[in-house]
Amino acid sequence: MPSAHIEVENLEIHYGPVAAVGPVSFSVMPGQQVTLLGPSGCGKTTTLRAIAGLERPSAGTIRIGGQTVYASDGGINVPAEKRGLSMVFQSYAIWPHMTVFENVAYGLRVRRKSKAEIEEKVRTALDLVQMGAYAGRHASQLSGGQQQRVALARACAFSPNVLLFDEPLSNLDAKLRGDMRIELRELQHRLGVTSVYVTHDLEEALAMSDQIVVMRRGHIEQNGSPNEIYNYPRTAFVADFVGSANLIGGRLRPDLSKDGFVALEADGGHILHGVSHGRVPGENPVMSVRTVHLRLAAEQGDAPVNVWPVVVRRCVFLGDMTQVHVEWGGRDLVIRQTTADVWHEGDGAWLSISPDSCVLLEAE
Amino acid sequence: MSATTAARSRLRLPSVQTSVGIAVIGVVAAFVIYPVYYLVQASLDVGDPEVRPPTAYGLDNFEALPRYWEIMVNTLVVAFAATVMALVFGFLTAWILNRTNVPFRRTLEQAMAVPYYVTPLLGALAWSLLGAPESGFINQIWRALGGSGAIIDIISPMGIAWVMALFEGSVAFVMIGAVMKSMDPSLEEASQINGAGRFYTMLRITLPLVTPGVLGAAIFVFAEMLGSFSAALVLGTPTRYYVITTAIYQLVAQYPPRIPLAAALGVSLFAVMFAMLFFYRRVISRRSYVTVSGKAFRPRLTDVGGLRWVLFGICGSYVLLSVVLPLLTLIYASVQKLAVAFPAASNFTLDNYRQALTQNAVRYAMSNSLILGVLTATIGVALTGMLSWLIHRSRVPGRGVLEYIAMFPQAVPRLVFAFGMMWAWLVFPIPIYGTLWLLLIAYLTVFLPLGVRTISSVLLQLDKSLEECGEVCGASWAHRMRTITMPLLRPGLLAAWMLLFIASVRELGASILLMGPHSQVITPAIVDAWFGSSSELTAAMALIQTVVLGLAVAVFSLITRRSSRQGG
Repeated sequence: MPSAHIEVENLEIHYGPVAAVGPVSFSVMPGQQVTLLGPSGCGKTTTLRAIAGLERPSAGTIRIGGQTVYASDGGINVPAEKRGLSMVFQSYAIWPHMTVFENVAYGLRVRRKSKAEIEEKVRTALDLVQMGAYAGRHASQLSGGQQQRVALARACAFSPNVLLFDEPLSNLDAKLRGDMRIELRELQHRLGVTSVYVTHDLEEALAMSDQIVVMRRGHIEQNGSPNEIYNYPRTAFVADFVGSANLIGGRLRPDLSKDGFVALEADGGHILHGVSHGRVPGENPVMSVRTVHLRLAAEQGDAPVNVWPVVVRRCVFLGDMTQVHVEWGGRDLVIRQTTADVWHEGDGAWLSISPDSCVLLEAE
Repeated sequence: MSATTAARSRLRLPSVQTSVGIAVIGVVAAFVIYPVYYLVQASLDVGDPEVRPPTAYGLDNFEALPRYWEIMVNTLVVAFAATVMALVFGFLTAWILNRTNVPFRRTLEQAMAVPYYVTPLLGALAWSLLGAPESGFINQIWRALGGSGAIIDIISPMGIAWVMALFEGSVAFVMIGAVMKSMDPSLEEASQINGAGRFYTMLRITLPLVTPGVLGAAIFVFAEMLGSFSAALVLGTPTRYYVITTAIYQLVAQYPPRIPLAAALGVSLFAVMFAMLFFYRRVISRRSYVTVSGKAFRPRLTDVGGLRWVLFGICGSYVLLSVVLPLLTLIYASVQKLAVAFPAASNFTLDNYRQALTQNAVRYAMSNSLILGVLTATIGVALTGMLSWLIHRSRVPGRGVLEYIAMFPQAVPRLVFAFGMMWAWLVFPIPIYGTLWLLLIAYLTVFLPLGVRTISSVLLQLDKSLEECGEVCGASWAHRMRTITMPLLRPGLLAAWMLLFIASVRELGASILLMGPHSQVITPAIVDAWFGSSSELTAAMALIQTVVLGLAVAVFSLITRRSSRQGG
């Protein structure tokens, strides 16, 4: 098994007496993209900046490529300019007093490369982001999307072994963001460079990452593949933050468990079968049910468990999907369906869900 | 990255950044703290006044202060009256220019900055020609029109306050204007949508929102007024009407000097100003709910109809009274044999200019001032630029304290600071007392806040990640400074150079105490001429200074504009 390219161990960052991060630990395998995901103020950007060397941690260890760049006990703190990594900033940080070419060439000039090499590498980098035609322009003459591309070219130009991204797409409009998401992912694959990506955008995280680290209040809530994070959220926070979910509380009924599924008696009396995924629930067990996994049909079907008659309360058309609210055991459940079925208030229907999609959560 | 890098960072060898940082901190701390120490020491000296260091310490000097209660009352009366007037000017003009559809707004706004450059000294000289009870032009015209006595008397406490207010008014205008500019107009619009009328909105929304800003401006202006010197010197001393600063000057300049008493006065004044500026910072930082989003809004302009020409007249009169009238008066006086006479061809002369330009003392003082101006501006920009960066961008421990030290001279009247400096450098082993070097150090110290404020305001607008990106790209600190920070800071550095240059050439309070026979500078020379020779000659000298300063600034901006155009 190859060793991790970036290792963060028990990292803690304090601002005065306030603990902003930690302790957190995670690692990134060579060539992989890890995303730090979380709401604003969760410490994801601070963590990224600590890896870059722009923020001084208070405790812990950071290793990049086997080399310790920060260690609180060893008193090691390699300055950012000596860490050999690169970063794309949220504001792009395109230097307004330089041309596009000069911006991209900066890191190469710092490394005292020959003129020919600089010329060639800048061309390659600019071509990579399809900005070759803009080399002579000033930053003020570029649109947001173009600045973003230049920032990317600049970050790649000197072939760093690690790329860091601090919410690079958050200042773009929705359409462009969608395109850039795919481009970035392709670029990352092509370059095979290890990268750490920070975002609060769920879709971005799911689309771009090999691994997602969900953070909240300076701590890691869950660390796993996009699939794992989405399908098996560990806590109510992850379930709610990563996609939309119905959180159903109740009490466990071990007597009704069968076929390896756990049974939960919801507060309204309905019995819900789901998976525990090896997790130990707290005193008040909660199951997470993704809104898109719920099925609404006119017929009962033949599933042995998790089928209930419900009454439709409201039906909201959202474009790509339709959101239906139904009354279920005295509470409201939200269903998001992509089918064209139209439901009216007061309609009776059958609600069903596969037990594999009902996930027992850990206590917070 | 190599093993040696890691090893070096483990050893924590001082980097360029750290060494430069430590050097700057050391210089600034020495410049600021050293004189203050001697000032306090002198104020506590109750021993033999001829012997230094003091033979005995005590609070006697402070206990003697109540005997000078009259001076305190004078100071408070003048400062209070001047503050009220300056705030009225400032608030009115700020409101008119930011919130109404007054005609020629752009032009007026630019004109509002001019009083700051005309200086209270020029204003005091000119207004004394205009408003002296017997000979003042205004009173002469009044009597010629059939009036009797004097319609205004500028040689009075209110006269001093009037002149001070005229020039501090533009400071109040800038401060209050900034508050009005940063106010989100939708706050007022929301009030109107909720059914409130214009007057009710003004009362319940606008006023509460601008109050903290206006209060902040009031405190700041009042503190400045307490420490102001030149107007009281020109208009108060002839009638022996002293405020604290002029009293200190008198105590130091008279024979025998009463140093400890002057020092005690200085320390008390500085304590009060320090407290006020501290309070000011509290007020400013407390106005959390006030609109400060760092965003500039396009203020909503009120259509005031025909009234707008009246408002134009108000702004115009302010500029007229503080700039046009004083300058015209000085120009007129400078070409007269007898300034206070009515125009007559026989009275016209260019002798005053000839005299001013041929007098060795004046030429010498002027060239000294220009040399000092260039040196102060150049060294000052390097020093304050570094300071601003250290305060706002570095991770140097104790940079918060550094900001306090750098802004400290703001709370000390320049005259009082110079007094401490005089005392401090007299005992300094290297003999710089009485040389231009002492003046240079003095200017660098007293203008620290000006430089730091100017450069910081630009620095704070620069996205921090512009520098961080250079860091991540692998550039060393020195390289980043050279290729990123300094080019981006260029407008701020140039503005600071210009302000420091102008301020140094015009400086009076510190220079008047620190210059020696071999280090004459121009502004004290102008004051000397006012008290020692004729007002016509003084007017000529003051105008020469203004013109030379104007030319220097024009040349400087021409050069920088050309080089920036070449730079792309």
